[in-house]
Amino acid sequence: MAEFEPKIVAFVCNWCTYAGADLTGTSRIKYAANVKIIRFPCTGRIDFMLLLKAFANGADGIIVSGCHPNDCHYTYGNFHARRRWMIFRKLIDFAGIDINRISFNWVSAAEGARWAEVVNTTVETVRKLGPYENYKQVALSIYDQEDKTHE
Amino acid sequence: MNELIAKAKYLLSSKTVDVVIGYGKGSGKYARAEFIRKLDDADKMIYNETCIQNLATYVQKHEVKHLGKIAIVANNYTLRSLLVLASEFQFTEGQVLALYITPENKIVEMPDFKSIEDHLATVDTGLKPDEKEIVDRIEKMTVAERWDFWQKEFAKCFKCFACRSSCPLCYCTKCMTESNQPQWIPVAASDLGNMEWHIMRAMHLAGRCVNCGDCARACPMDIPLNLLTYNLIEGIEKDFGAKAGMKATDISTLSTFKPDDKENFIK
Amino acid sequence: MSKIGVFVCHCGENISATVDCEKVAETISKLPGVALSMDYKYMCSDPGQTIIKEAIKEHNLDGVVVAACSPRMHEPTFRKACAEGGLNQYLCEMANIREHCSWVHPRENSTTEKAIDIVRTMVEKVKRNAPLESIKVPVTKKAMVIGGGVAGIQAALDIANAGHKVVMIERDPSIGGHMSQLSETFPTLDCSQCILTPRMVEVAQHPNITLISYAEVESLEGFIGNFKVKVRKKSKSLDEKLCTGCGLCTTKCPNKKIPNEFERGLGFRPAIYVPFPQAVPNKPVIDKKNCTYYTKGKCRICEKVCPTGAIRFDQPDEIVDIEVGAIVLCTGFDVKKPDFFPEYGYGKYKDVIDGLQFERLASASGPTQGVIRRPSDGEIPKKVVFIACAGSRDPAKGIEYCSKICCMYTAKHAMLYKHKVHEGTPYVFYMDIRAGGKMYEEFVRRAIVEDETQYIRGRVSTVYEKNGKLIVKGVDTLMNGRLVEIEADLVVLATAGVANDGAEDLAQKLHVSYDSYKFFAEAHPKLKPVETNTAGIFLAGACQAPKDIPESVAAASGAAVKVCGLFANNELTREPLIAIVNREAPPLYSNCVGCFMCQTVCPYQAIEREEVKDRSGKVIKTLAYINPGLCQGCGTCVALCRSKSIDLLGYTNDQVYTEVMALLND
Repeated sequence: MAEFEPKIVAFVCNWCTYAGADLTGTSRIKYAANVKIIRFPCTGRIDFMLLLKAFANGADGIIVSGCHPNDCHYTYGNFHARRRWMIFRKLIDFAGIDINRISFNWVSAAEGARWAEVVNTTVETVRKLGPYENYKQVALSIYDQEDKTHE
Repeated sequence: MNELIAKAKYLLSSKTVDVVIGYGKGSGKYARAEFIRKLDDADKMIYNETCIQNLATYVQKHEVKHLGKIAIVANNYTLRSLLVLASEFQFTEGQVLALYITPENKIVEMPDFKSIEDHLATVDTGLKPDEKEIVDRIEKMTVAERWDFWQKEFAKCFKCFACRSSCPLCYCTKCMTESNQPQWIPVAASDLGNMEWHIMRAMHLAGRCVNCGDCARACPMDIPLNLLTYNLIEGIEKDFGAKAGMKATDISTLSTFKPDDKENFIK
Repeated sequence: MSKIGVFVCHCGENISATVDCEKVAETISKLPGVALSMDYKYMCSDPGQTIIKEAIKEHNLDGVVVAACSPRMHEPTFRKACAEGGLNQYLCEMANIREHCSWVHPRENSTTEKAIDIVRTMVEKVKRNAPLESIKVPVTKKAMVIGGGVAGIQAALDIANAGHKVVMIERDPSIGGHMSQLSETFPTLDCSQCILTPRMVEVAQHPNITLISYAEVESLEGFIGNFKVKVRKKSKSLDEKLCTGCGLCTTKCPNKKIPNEFERGLGFRPAIYVPFPQAVPNKPVIDKKNCTYYTKGKCRICEKVCPTGAIRFDQPDEIVDIEVGAIVLCTGFDVKKPDFFPEYGYGKYKDVIDGLQFERLASASGPTQGVIRRPSDGEIPKKVVFIACAGSRDPAKGIEYCSKICCMYTAKHAMLYKHKVHEGTPYVFYMDIRAGGKMYEEFVRRAIVEDETQYIRGRVSTVYEKNGKLIVKGVDTLMNGRLVEIEADLVVLATAGVANDGAEDLAQKLHVSYDSYKFFAEAHPKLKPVETNTAGIFLAGACQAPKDIPESVAAASGAAVKVCGLFANNELTREPLIAIVNREAPPLYSNCVGCFMCQTVCPYQAIEREEVKDRSGKVIKTLAYINPGLCQGCGTCVALCRSKSIDLLGYTNDQVYTEVMALLND
């Protein structure tokens, strides 16, 4: 049986983590291929709903990463993001969503090796947790509704 | 209550306000809202143990807002909702006159923010012990159990949006569900859409919800929506020491930050 | 239907070694909306770019995705190529299949699959890109320099010499700042006033510079290129046009016993005074708090003796409005009074002074005409003890940071003392010697070797008076902690440099960030040391952090060049990737409900209130409006807006949502 390959979406900020991931590439450090990156100008731009949407569309895990506190290119974006995550995380945990599947990090533009580490660690963690069946089942419910109307 | 009726008649006839929002006899187990504009209608006003709805939601409804100056019968939750609305620039001082009814049924007029703030400083408006107990019970469940619990609750929802209508803080003229490019939240009822709606609504109330409980009371399917917000309120008070609606100049928790906010999950 | 052109680059072998580029191009060509999909060896080369330009024309493309290296590498290159091909440059995006894919994964199917996913995501995003134009903001080509110390003077001269107008605002009656209080400067031992006063005069006489002294900023409005500053010209009680600067009033004023701020309390001045003989402007002001007329209603001698009748007792403060395009903050620093060290006796013993007071003693135009004398009895001290780090590097009592200049000026003081008092002995109690600048280490060596300064590595525990001498008790850590006791005639404390008084207020008026020590915050500690986060406001000198004269001058010139760069065009061009609040037809006007949470979070104060009025002028709604000149495009407001009324161009909700969907769905 083929090993389960988790699908991971990474929401990263352009100035730090995206640059850090570029550095990982330039340094030719190899890491797991399961992660695909979406670029944002700042972690402050990341809407909470995007995380839920990622799960609904088949992601098994999520990485959110930005600049270290005090380093944000836009001065405060990551502070606002941090506060949001603190609140959001508690809420979705309370609602029963598996927050172990979401990995929050600060990765700076100089931390190429660290990005690879973050990716590999998250992939392994999510691999052990298995595919996010619960969420995928619920996500399919949208199509259920449509089917019912056609009966 | 006779004093209340007399007060309403006085306020209207002296043109201090243009409409008085109070409680009237409802058809169910709770009182309904009454909008008194004519002196005779004031006789419909009542005040008893069925009067727990948070009337602050009407301050934001366009049909009421355009009437002019408003007097509103208020309990502590209503007062806090009014301050949250004021801190979000939804009305100016003097536009709303709060009529707080004490536990001894005395009417206290609060025409400005300071009177409301001073009063709220003296009362305890935190989570009640039984509310805390329910939250603790759910927190002790495993993640899988919590998921099942909430999925069962959300399955009952058919997106009537009564919760949204009854909440004073849901006043967006175009709600996020009505955005369709992209369609963030599917409007029709489905397991996914229901979950997304309720989680996102709770998130939008972070740092603003005053725990009046109207959302749960309004829900025709008895979904315990206020549990989601209890958990939020508890978390926010613990992590940030903030309580919504205590001052008219408060800034919501979600739009501020402290450089030393402590989290243990960002690596 | 969109017509997207997709160009997959081999990047030589960098991408094609692990990713099957032909397969990527072929798979993407099947997506709806893709008019052309091809692969090529070097897209960034001239022929590569030509392919794109021709494809735009030939296929009438309305979007381009270049699947190649990181956009941080070549996005400007390809955007420029698209613009030259006739396509709006913001309809071009890059899919990063090199740094994020081909370089970090082995040659496998999964790598190619990932590359396909990445390109597909960007294709879906580009379908929702809108053509955008760079934002143009007009620029008022006039600068304001706040602060007339050496940094302010340098900045003003540089900007003025580049041909732009400058207004300099100085809080004190004269410009010159702390540098005018120094006697000689390290490491050259140049006479401080000799090198500064020509510059001060140049500022006063420069045709492009307007000097307003004895004035402060009252308020600031506007944004980069378009600031409106209200300046309060404090009343000097003087008609400057009539005053000739003869100084007769200052000699006749009967109230002569006011502690002189310029002499740091070591001398006196009259109530109508010129701060120092070389002051620019060399016109007096009346100290209203101490003048006999203003406090008691009597006297008016100065008015009587003035040959031109220039005294005006009833002159009010004047508020003037000045429009400028850029502001340079050079408000400098102050020296912290070391009275929080009661064990050193500052304030208790007259002969315990701070570094700046020693400068005045050493200065030829100082209270003692350059002779080092004890403040208590005027005797020339035979032993002087200098205590370094008296307040800096001390989390317990004083300031945590290092004040940077004290090691150097202490060495300088020791040398000046020795040059004036040949038989005297200077002692320095130090923790470390920080002499990192050019010729600095050599300077300190001179103090030790040539001028026989006794450097003792250790702290002083107490200073007390006994029989007219100051007993200094310290320790010599290089001699195993041996206790040292010196009978000094004078003790000089090298006290901490701190932010100038009023810095916090000014920063708040200008919306400039500052740190916990009230020093103004630079935009980036490494790469943007002379800019602030507020566009159009620049920093120079010690108001940002303690620094010496060469660094202040360098920073001032740096800030001046930033201002000149801003003024180089008549309009400011900015990337249009900013946030906008949606606007609709009446009666809705906008989805925005005016809660202004966005205004609270914006790090650049770019969000303003816009009142929507009806025909009679009544306000119907107050909506958020984003100033296109200020918004930097971080998107924090977008994620926070509950009603989704704000969107970020370039990263719209639609685009971002589509990226998530496309990434995960095949």
